[in-house]
Amino acid sequence: MSKIICSAAIRGAHKIVGIAEAKQAEALKKWGPDQEIGFPNTTYYLPIIYGILGIPVKTLADARVILDKCNELLPPLVSDNVWLPYLAPALDAGMATFFAEEIIEAIRYLEEPGCYTEEEDPTADNIWLGAADDVIMRKRGVEFVDGSAPGFAAILGAAPSPEIAAKIAIELQEKNLYVFMVSDHDGKNMSEQLLSVDVQVGWPTRLVSFGPSYTAAVFAMGFATRVAMSFGGVKPGAFRENLMYNKERVFAFAMPLGTVTDEWYANAAGAINWGFPTIADTPIPEVLPTGICTYEHVVSNIPHDEIVAKAIEVRGLKVTVSKVDIPMSYGPAFEGERIRKDDLFFECGGGRTLGVELTVSKDMSEVEDGHIEMLGPDLDQVKEGDKLPFGMIIEVAGRQMQPDFEPILERQIHHLVNYVQGIMHIGQRNIMWIRVGKAAVEKGFLLKHIGKVMHAKYHQEFGNIVDKVQVKIYTEEEKVKEVMALAKDVYSKRDKRVEGMTDETEETFYSCTLCQSFAPAHVCVITPERAGMCGAYNWLDCKASNEINPTGPNQPLEKGTCLDPVKGQWKGIDDFIFKASRQNVEHVCAYSLMNFPMTACGCFEAIATILPLCNGIMVVNRDYRGMTPSGMKFTTMAGMVGGGNQTPGFLGVSKHYMGSKKFFKAEGGLKRIVWLPKMLKEEIAEHVKPICEEMGMPDFFDMVADETVGETEEEVFAFLEAKGHPAFTMDPLM
Amino acid sequence: MAIEIPNAAYSGKIKEVPLGQEGKTITFGGETCYPFHLFEGAMPHPPKIAMEVYDRAPEEWPDTVMEPFADVAGDPVAWANKCIDSYGAEMIMLQLASIDPNAQNTSADEAAAIAKKVSDAVDVPLIVWGCTNVDKDTEVLKAVCEACEGKNVIIGPVQEGNYRAIGATAIGYKHTVVASTPIDINLAKQLNILLGNLNVPDDKLLIDPTTGALGYGLEYCYSVMERIRMAALTQEDERLQFPILANFAKEVWKTKEVKLSSAEAPLLGDQKKRGILMEAMTAQCVLLAGADILVMRHPEAISLVKEAIKDLMTTEEG
Ligand code: SF4
Repeated sequence: MSKIICSAAIRGAHKIVGIAEAKQAEALKKWGPDQEIGFPNTTYYLPIIYGILGIPVKTLADARVILDKCNELLPPLVSDNVWLPYLAPALDAGMATFFAEEIIEAIRYLEEPGCYTEEEDPTADNIWLGAADDVIMRKRGVEFVDGSAPGFAAILGAAPSPEIAAKIAIELQEKNLYVFMVSDHDGKNMSEQLLSVDVQVGWPTRLVSFGPSYTAAVFAMGFATRVAMSFGGVKPGAFRENLMYNKERVFAFAMPLGTVTDEWYANAAGAINWGFPTIADTPIPEVLPTGICTYEHVVSNIPHDEIVAKAIEVRGLKVTVSKVDIPMSYGPAFEGERIRKDDLFFECGGGRTLGVELTVSKDMSEVEDGHIEMLGPDLDQVKEGDKLPFGMIIEVAGRQMQPDFEPILERQIHHLVNYVQGIMHIGQRNIMWIRVGKAAVEKGFLLKHIGKVMHAKYHQEFGNIVDKVQVKIYTEEEKVKEVMALAKDVYSKRDKRVEGMTDETEETFYSCTLCQSFAPAHVCVITPERAGMCGAYNWLDCKASNEINPTGPNQPLEKGTCLDPVKGQWKGIDDFIFKASRQNVEHVCAYSLMNFPMTACGCFEAIATILPLCNGIMVVNRDYRGMTPSGMKFTTMAGMVGGGNQTPGFLGVSKHYMGSKKFFKAEGGLKRIVWLPKMLKEEIAEHVKPICEEMGMPDFFDMVADETVGETEEEVFAFLEAKGHPAFTMDPLM
Repeated sequence: MAIEIPNAAYSGKIKEVPLGQEGKTITFGGETCYPFHLFEGAMPHPPKIAMEVYDRAPEEWPDTVMEPFADVAGDPVAWANKCIDSYGAEMIMLQLASIDPNAQNTSADEAAAIAKKVSDAVDVPLIVWGCTNVDKDTEVLKAVCEACEGKNVIIGPVQEGNYRAIGATAIGYKHTVVASTPIDINLAKQLNILLGNLNVPDDKLLIDPTTGALGYGLEYCYSVMERIRMAALTQEDERLQFPILANFAKEVWKTKEVKLSSAEAPLLGDQKKRGILMEAMTAQCVLLAGADILVMRHPEAISLVKEAIKDLMTTEEG
């Protein structure tokens, strides 16, 4: 922590504890040790002291005990030649500050009855509300937990003008945050500033005028501390749990407006204990490294028009967008809509014009959330039947965002745009195609609205990884060409990255237990080179899904020592499978059909099995309804593989896996394939080409039999023999 | 040669959850074996039946099940008392059906007042059930939590869409919550994890995996319930080790089979008997799948099931 901040905070804490000492001594003389003190209508006594220390302060004598604790906590003042560069002393000083301030405020309640309104709203002659009683806390505090109010901004001091104060307040309100206002700067305070420009202050508008002194900051902190006890089930005195609860759940921060005094520093240091950072408008030293708070601790010199956005970023607050704001209906019901020629008003992409869409991640500072840029004519400037080039770049930023997630987000464009009524979206990347129907244009639909859709939906569905989204849409040829060039560059980098990822390079695999609902013992182990058997989940999808939903069905698995690189067996995976399958399955070999093959659920894209006579393997896809040389149809075989059992010789696979270098590596790989339905052969031909070439048999697929050759093993055998299929010379399968 | 009966190897135990007001609680859970496998483990707290009480006089019930409650319909307190006094109800479920925006759309305050009255009137554990509309339930059940402070009421359904608001409020007022998910073990587990993360204590949580009526998808519900128990007892799936609530009376009594009169469907037999058996059979199935709390309606079906539980709980030693 910066030495300047640290010494100022400690200085401030010494002053504040000194004041509390004096006040307590004075009150003691006047009222005696048994005089009761406390905040109105609460069962939490002085809540910070109660929550952190577990001590109920009921009397002036109790306060004395706390002041002794304060003195124990207070670190010595920092002198020029002694300097311990630690955060800890400042944090302790901050804690002592809050204890002392609670005592000061409690004595104020005693000495100056009526100093606070003790209601939800200011009264005609008093704007200061004072501590929230339990009724208010219960009613409002639950909002912190259920997310309807993510947290609060504790504002100290005043903005340079009432207008700026109002602007900041409204921005915070828009983010559903509570604004807790205390203290003054140069004799002005934010609460009065707001009232002077007719902004309503009070609990109902979430703009809470706590008190005129900086010591009223304890009303904010006490509120947070009580929320943890009341709604988090945290016990009084369980300080660690209380502080962690607040750090993780209450999105609060301090926002000092104006000169930061020693006393303010002391309060800011205290708030860091709760994980609440400070965002200041003045050029005070910053405390950037992360540690106690989620991200930075003190960020300073932020202009007033950026301060709310910055605070939200530093505190790690997620923006929620509840509605997709477009003139059309929106939802899954419209996904399957077709726009036929007669209904067509406008189209782009799809080979008719240049069309491209791209999602990329950017630095937090490069993305302005909600910004939508439209360059070139929009739908209100074209006539029926027009076509235009189309380029869309969605730029996202997030503290948890990784470039690896870009393709996963990008893949969503298709269905998210399709959800718009009256719009059809087909394809992806630079083969995307959009058709807009006449009805949509009549209702006022613009291409710009696609940007709004993407902004809202990315926030809603990927809130855990995305903090900011901006969208750029171009319909000018030149610009679209630029996007296309950029996109091609990005695509090729991505493809290389995926190719470069192998089971050897990654330490973590993922489990998928989505299918356990109907196949209780089944778990898919998903590796970079072996996608889930349904074909819907590859390794990157699982990684992102785990990031988005950490308690969901995709959990990271440490693969551990490799037990067999050819069969694809790892210690960590075996251990996991044993437990996850209720001790039914002891080993799993990811690359084998014959030895401990993976269990299967029921939603595999295809099934592989052996043809013993041919010494080879056949694969049949779900869509193929005919007979296969194994003597069984797909449906019969599915009955034998499914249900979460290990059935050597039978295995559910994804089509994608057939193009992997690890495809049945244990049995000799692709070379073992002797029969495929023609439709499957055609579908995967491109995909397996590189493997065929690598095998030195670019025409390998010509040697593979299909139903036109025969549906019995004998017919297949004859064909293979004639072609000289490599399976004949390989080790026996059984 | 003596035949050795194979025993299942259990590694888990269902958590014990005390329900009801302090001093009058009934404990649920605690099983260390599959349902009624008393030769393999213990079922210290046998399953119990909660009788349904509606906040408004029901309109679409067949007479065969309306008849026992005709004199109390429209007065939830009298209804609850009748269940306890005349039919020996061990628990009550107050169904706040009228809050549904598609029904009378009763306000949260009104519903909370009814819940409060019933909770004041009864000593047995009280379940207060919403209408499954996520937003409306949030509003109403939060108000119910507040109104019934100190009664350890059982609040549900808590769904993924409102678990934070209702869960947190229930913690604040120290009630128990029922995590409700649509017939899917993964979703059930996930919601329990989420509620745990929210700090809902383990002894204040029940699972409602959704139960259909006999002939209306019951087999699927049965499997999911069975799976939850298997995962809890043999897979050490800690987040599934909670008592299960089966809320099926509503489902049974809206089926065609209970509504058709004896005259309309002579082949189906006597209408009254038919309905009672439909409900009792559904109950019997979910008992065997692992349910701890059965929400039921017809007094005669209830006495049949109570008998069955008693029989199943009898061991050789007596
Ligand atoms: S088949 Fe697909 S969805 Fe099912 S468990 Fe495997 S990867 Fe998951």
